[in-house]
Amino acid sequence: MDFRFSKEEEEFRKELGEFLDKGLTEEIARQNWEDKGLGPEGREFARKLGAKGWLGLGWPKEYGGQGGSPMYEFILVTELARRGAHVPNDIARLMGGPTILRHGSEELKKEFLPRIARGEIEFALGYTEPQAGSDLAALEIRAVEDGDDYIMNGQKMFNTECHYADYHWLAARTDPDAPRHRGISLFVVDMNSPGITIRPLWTMSGERTNEVFYDNVRVPKRRMVGEKNRGFYYIITALNFERLTVYTIERLHPILNSLIQYAKETQYNGRPLAENPIIRRKLAQMAIDFEVGRMIEYRAYWMICQGLTPDYESGIAKVFSTELQQRLMNVGMQILGHYGQLQEGSKWAPLKGRIEREYRASFLTTLAAGSSEIIRNIIATRGLELPRV
Amino acid sequence: MDFSFTEEQEMLRKTARDFLEAECPKSLVREMVEDEKGYSPKLWRQMAELGWMGLVFPNEYGGTDGSFLDLVVLLEEMGRACLPGPFFSTVVLGGLTILKAGNEQQKREFLPKLINGDIVLTLALTEPQAKYNPASITVKAVADGNDHVINGTKLFVPDAHIADYMVCVARTKDEAVLEDGITLFLIDAKSPGISYTLLKTIAGDKQCEVVFDKVEIPRENMLGELHQGWAHMEKILQKAAVARCAEMIGGAQQVVEMTADYVKQRVQFGQPVGSFQAVQHHCANMLIDTEGAKYITYEAAWMLSQEMPCNMQVAMAKAWVSDAYRRVTALGHQVIGGVAQIEDHDMPLYSKRAKAAELAFGDADFHAEIVAQELGL
Repeated sequence: MDFRFSKEEEEFRKELGEFLDKGLTEEIARQNWEDKGLGPEGREFARKLGAKGWLGLGWPKEYGGQGGSPMYEFILVTELARRGAHVPNDIARLMGGPTILRHGSEELKKEFLPRIARGEIEFALGYTEPQAGSDLAALEIRAVEDGDDYIMNGQKMFNTECHYADYHWLAARTDPDAPRHRGISLFVVDMNSPGITIRPLWTMSGERTNEVFYDNVRVPKRRMVGEKNRGFYYIITALNFERLTVYTIERLHPILNSLIQYAKETQYNGRPLAENPIIRRKLAQMAIDFEVGRMIEYRAYWMICQGLTPDYESGIAKVFSTELQQRLMNVGMQILGHYGQLQEGSKWAPLKGRIEREYRASFLTTLAAGSSEIIRNIIATRGLELPRV
Repeated sequence: MDFSFTEEQEMLRKTARDFLEAECPKSLVREMVEDEKGYSPKLWRQMAELGWMGLVFPNEYGGTDGSFLDLVVLLEEMGRACLPGPFFSTVVLGGLTILKAGNEQQKREFLPKLINGDIVLTLALTEPQAKYNPASITVKAVADGNDHVINGTKLFVPDAHIADYMVCVARTKDEAVLEDGITLFLIDAKSPGISYTLLKTIAGDKQCEVVFDKVEIPRENMLGELHQGWAHMEKILQKAAVARCAEMIGGAQQVVEMTADYVKQRVQFGQPVGSFQAVQHHCANMLIDTEGAKYITYEAAWMLSQEMPCNMQVAMAKAWVSDAYRRVTALGHQVIGGVAQIEDHDMPLYSKRAKAAELAFGDADFHAEIVAQELGL
């Protein structure tokens, strides 16, 4: 048992940390978290990370990677999260890339992996549809063979990042006669293909997501990832990875720190908020929960480094991280009191209105990438082997 | 980073689990609740022969030089089995204190006997104001020449009534800073002037009121330096808290397994209740709580083993596990249902012990305040 990182890992963390402290401006971080789209600064930053070799740390060198241990990838994810940002092309980097690496053709690997590792391209997830949320296997978008291509028709919902991603990581039905889970394939679609229409949906926290319409969109067969009709199973693996990295508990670190700082510095009727026993108790509990969740998450990272594939373990980490997020935002709003409702830009708004915004954003994360309810089903059936209905 | 145990630790775990499954059945656990001494001398002897008492003590006293983390592995299995008796009091509360604070002569006199299973020890620390901080120590040890005379009442002292020796934490000087002025004494439990009253507790563990009436302690029975006992106590209490967490995570895992097994078999409305989502979600919550409890405990235990500064992690572990084990047993009751309410079901053994363990060495509120201080609030 040893909970330290290796000397080399710590050296990497230090080098990365110094680079981020200098180059990751609030502007770039905001482009990340607001999901409005990477502007030129954000894209340039992604390329700089790519040029350092930091976007392909765990990938084989032949595809533009560094051939290192997966732990370096997790250090990148967590160090960015602790600075209020995520990997600039995290969908391509953390979901698309690893799936292509594991299941894609040689041609597909050569076409995409080096560009992802250089920070040049981003993917957008294309899973959810109006009638296929938690029941993803109910998706209907249809891919019909036509010579060397598929012709696609249908609609996607809540596909975030489509408006600025280069490629759509699309799940489509290739065999309507097979059992539902076994008639779905995964494709990498050029986002600027003729026939794709994107309409914005604005969330209550000011983030943009999208409805996406496919009207006779032509996608080359060589852009299918892995085997035909096996897409659903690739998605499960990608989802387990997404749960662990995109929802890393380290996202909450800067928020918790800012609340602790706020409590120390802010006075109410002549006394620091930090002396209020209720505030002490709540903030201490948030710190305790954070450390417990961090250990749960790192245990799943360790499994990956051992060559194991976390399954319900990623689910536990994600449920814990996102539910703590909601508790933390509630505590934050309670500490801010009346001031909590003031938005960024308002006179009197504390902490630049960040808590108010994060509070609005916190309603989503227990739903995306597998709702807490679905994941609890998985924890019970796969973690405890309880019978399915 | 490494979340695995060594081969030796896994072997220790397996041996302990198999042994306790065979030699510490629930019938014995129940018997010991009624039994005044609260432990089986036969089982005690077997444990000593297995080398369990000596696990964390140096070779030179007859121990096997194991780490605190090794002890945590063993305690986890003891918690899983609801092992009754004074192992924890003797090894953790008494033994580790003597190892830390005692001089060479004291260590040579007491540790071999402890390791051999010949003596039972405990720690008399808490008082009617019942806290784990120096402010609450009011039992006085007044100097009389080179010796001391102790007067006062200690409360919630585990296994005092069967102990051969007690470490008594007493105030020898009134100081503005309350930590200064506390001294540790190793007391013969049969000394004149000590009286014991066994308390009736929810978990049936043996805790006592201990009244000291003009009890004389010779100088050579002082542990460590005069007025400087609290520094030792802080470390011992950290180890005791995490050691208790180890027992709790063992119990929690047993509860999760017992509950999952039951819901796979119990049929209502024509199907196993384990197929209903409400039941599945309760069980998932039990597993989430237990996983969290395990890893925060291992983190704190490993840091203590490595002698790293870990005030924060120890407090976080005891705070989390105190609440988590309670939640796990409450959900276990809810999921298994009516039969788990009945006294002869195993579940009440765990839920009652969860409550006792929650309180021991500081509950969640106590340790959350330590976390708040460590955060600089």
